[in-house]
Amino acid sequence: MAPSQNLEAEGITRRRSLAALAGAGALALAGCTQSSGGGGSDGGSGDDGSGDDGSGDDGSGDGGDSLSGSINIAGSSTVFPLMSAVMEDFAEEHPGIDPTISSTGSGGGFSNYFCVGETDFNNASRPIQPEEEQLCADNGVEYIELVAATDALTVVVNPEADWIDSLTIEELATIWESDAVETWDEVRDEFPNEEIERYGAADTSGTYDYFIEAVLGERGHTSDYQATEQDNNIATGVAGSEYAIGYFGFAYYFQNPDQLKALGIDSGDGPVEPSLETASSGEYTPLSRPLFTYPSIESLGNEHVAEFARYFVEQTTNEDLVAGDVGYVPATEETQEEQMQKLEDAIEQAQG
Amino acid sequence: MATDNANADGFGEVSRVRGILFEYLSLGASVAGLVALGVLLVYVAIDAFDLASASPGWLLTYFLTLVIPFLAFCLYSADDSAVTRRVLVVLAGGLVAVAVIFTAIEAFVVTIPRLSWQLTYLFVVVAPATAYLAYVGSHGRVGAVGFGLLGRLVGGTAIGLAVGTLFLVFDELVWFLAYTLGVLPAAALYAYGRRRDAGRAVTAAIPVGLVGLVAAVFLRGVVRTYPSDLIIYLWTLAVPIAAVGALVVDARGSRTAAVAAGGVPLALAIAGGFLAGNVGLPGPTTLIVIALTGVPTAIYVHRVVDVGDGTVGLGLPLLLAAGVIVGALVVEAWGVPAPDPWLDVSYVTEAPSRNATEAGLYPAIVGSVIIIALVAVLSFVLGVGTSVFLEEYMPETGVLGSLTRLLQINIANLAAIPSVVYGLLGLGLFANLLGFGYGTAVTASLTLSLLILPITIISAQEAIRSVPDDLRRGSDAMGATRWQTTKNVVLPEALPGILTGTILALGRAIGETAPLIMIGAATTVFSAPSSLFSRFSAMPMQIYAWAGFPQAEFRYGVVAAGVITLLIILIGMNGTAILLRNRAERGS
Repeated sequence: MAPSQNLEAEGITRRRSLAALAGAGALALAGCTQSSGGGGSDGGSGDDGSGDDGSGDDGSGDGGDSLSGSINIAGSSTVFPLMSAVMEDFAEEHPGIDPTISSTGSGGGFSNYFCVGETDFNNASRPIQPEEEQLCADNGVEYIELVAATDALTVVVNPEADWIDSLTIEELATIWESDAVETWDEVRDEFPNEEIERYGAADTSGTYDYFIEAVLGERGHTSDYQATEQDNNIATGVAGSEYAIGYFGFAYYFQNPDQLKALGIDSGDGPVEPSLETASSGEYTPLSRPLFTYPSIESLGNEHVAEFARYFVEQTTNEDLVAGDVGYVPATEETQEEQMQKLEDAIEQAQG
Repeated sequence: MATDNANADGFGEVSRVRGILFEYLSLGASVAGLVALGVLLVYVAIDAFDLASASPGWLLTYFLTLVIPFLAFCLYSADDSAVTRRVLVVLAGGLVAVAVIFTAIEAFVVTIPRLSWQLTYLFVVVAPATAYLAYVGSHGRVGAVGFGLLGRLVGGTAIGLAVGTLFLVFDELVWFLAYTLGVLPAAALYAYGRRRDAGRAVTAAIPVGLVGLVAAVFLRGVVRTYPSDLIIYLWTLAVPIAAVGALVVDARGSRTAAVAAGGVPLALAIAGGFLAGNVGLPGPTTLIVIALTGVPTAIYVHRVVDVGDGTVGLGLPLLLAAGVIVGALVVEAWGVPAPDPWLDVSYVTEAPSRNATEAGLYPAIVGSVIIIALVAVLSFVLGVGTSVFLEEYMPETGVLGSLTRLLQINIANLAAIPSVVYGLLGLGLFANLLGFGYGTAVTASLTLSLLILPITIISAQEAIRSVPDDLRRGSDAMGATRWQTTKNVVLPEALPGILTGTILALGRAIGETAPLIMIGAATTVFSAPSSLFSRFSAMPMQIYAWAGFPQAEFRYGVVAAGVITLLIILIGMNGTAILLRNRAERGS
């Protein structure tokens, strides 16, 4: 009897252990399963990714109000640092969104991406131009214009050029007009008789367009200069020669004030040096310019794009970010309210 | 004979000046480029690792705890007193020479920016001496064992990270179904057929696998509930790798060792995968990395212990790890000021930022790795296909022969077309016409594949052409068909050459920026791409954008760190390909 009992006991143990194992396995599997929103969703980019994202520390926790979807931005290289800085914070708050930012130049962004409906925002360092308006209209892309910040176009010379501190608008124009002077003493008599070396923005840049509009007008821009999209190259060139002159956005000078010397600009009321204060008070004329971003109204119909646009307008008055981190002049409360109103109207139009 | 003797008077003296001059000119030409590149890389490395602010004490600490033990290990392995003497003379003499020359130049000629004589000594004397010693040491048994183990650890980690990265984009649920329904049954059938000599099972393996794959794609649309990611990777990657490891060890003998070689890494991988989440690491990737590192390491250790020669070499990774730890302890204990490198862990795991210290390259690294993986597959398949067809199937005479030559000329010309033009082609064809989207990974990899295709084709053709015709004729004489000759004779012989060409071409593809700009790839993204059709950024794009930032920290530190990261990934990629190539060479 004893052996059979033993056998029986052993059998039960084995069966039990098997059952226990199966139960444990089923439990483990049940605890380790995931459900996926059906297949065939090759197109929806966020769909598959959101479930198994590595960044799931707060994963489904904020599932109620979490935004998701992509935001595509292209345009001006001048606005690029500001837009990336704002987007960095926004992306941190909303891990579900998938933003991309390209630095293509204002014109390139409008004609290649924005006005053919590929991007949701286009940054610009000048207002949209008639041909671009036409292109957008042809493709049925509607947009609004939002002011992002104010930039002070900065004219720089070599820090060793102690013979020069400021220029009048007229003098600046004689240096950069299409029939430009050759040597410094032609600009002002007390300047040395040395050849002028010019470094400026390339003609695809919004900075170039704005410089013509503000300083040169009908007189045209000289072609006898080193043209580049990169502020670094202008800075390196000017730092390399005592008789060089260049112009670019304020951010570069703001971050590297010792490398170059910024000239005061005299538009009739005495020379004014570029700074955050003089640009925001309006003293630094005519070289302080607004920077823009153009959201497409159709894209504003998506909640995550609309939410980002609101966030962006809120941030335009953030002094730490706009002035401290990037080097542009923040918008005033008044401008911000105006922009917000414009934006809300557009969102209502898109979503209503 | 007579004429030779008649000329004998003419052989008076021939001036050797021209020959000697030519020799040294060629030497100068070859050295000039290398030196320029070397200086550039030294400066980039100094910027990326912030070595300019490394104190002499810090350098000395790590020199003593890390470099000297490594050199000693190599000398021990080389076991050659002549080498030992030479290296000691170079290290000691170099120290004095560099210190004197550097100080003299600084004092009398010009100050050298961002370099101290200690750093110069490290780069000019210690680095080449270490490379030389590593080379000499690897010929000894002990050194070979040490480097073999180190290589498996590093290589396994790199491949594990790459696989983990690829699964960010590819749907692991489809892979789970495909593996379970297609790959596993097919592999089982194949293995069964091989073992039992059942030809039918082997033949059935491929159709069964294909049916399984199709079923997987179909079922993905129906099935809603899946195991968690960790279980999927465990089931589809870690378990099979461990099983293969156990089989390999089993074939050599001991069953216990086989179970240990498969089981221990598997257990470690499971533990690592489940615990990784607690320390903020992604669990699935940790699991893959441990499995891919552990199993080959276990197999290698077993083999070395089994052979019983040079087992001391297994201590090399421990020696290096101990060096790093002791160095860190000393630096901590004595409060030696340490540099703060730009290229650190957060740099490769974080998203770009407006603050230089927080800026990271992670999304761009993922983007680049995915593109390059796709480009490698596409260009290899297309390149080998085209070159085999052109070399083996197209006739050399007649109308078709002329057509072949025309094709040849066109392919050669395509290799010289600027990359921007390929960017335009990608924009027009893939992004607009075929609708793969602006700046998506698919568009980018197709464009870059086309860009490097001519190079791949030409080098593959050269490799195929260099296979001796005798081999082909021999195969023909045995009654082989053209397909059998190509498969069994030509391709195995040509494979090393084909791989070399592909490696060079991929090196070009990973650094391309112009075509990416043309197809609208993003400059900055903040999260890794989640599918092949989402927009992405690549390393060169992000590095170029940073180079234009106004802050000096970006233009020097962050950009330099990006360049070094790009180089490390490139070297890792090429290293893998070169290992494969060497294996193929040895095999043939």
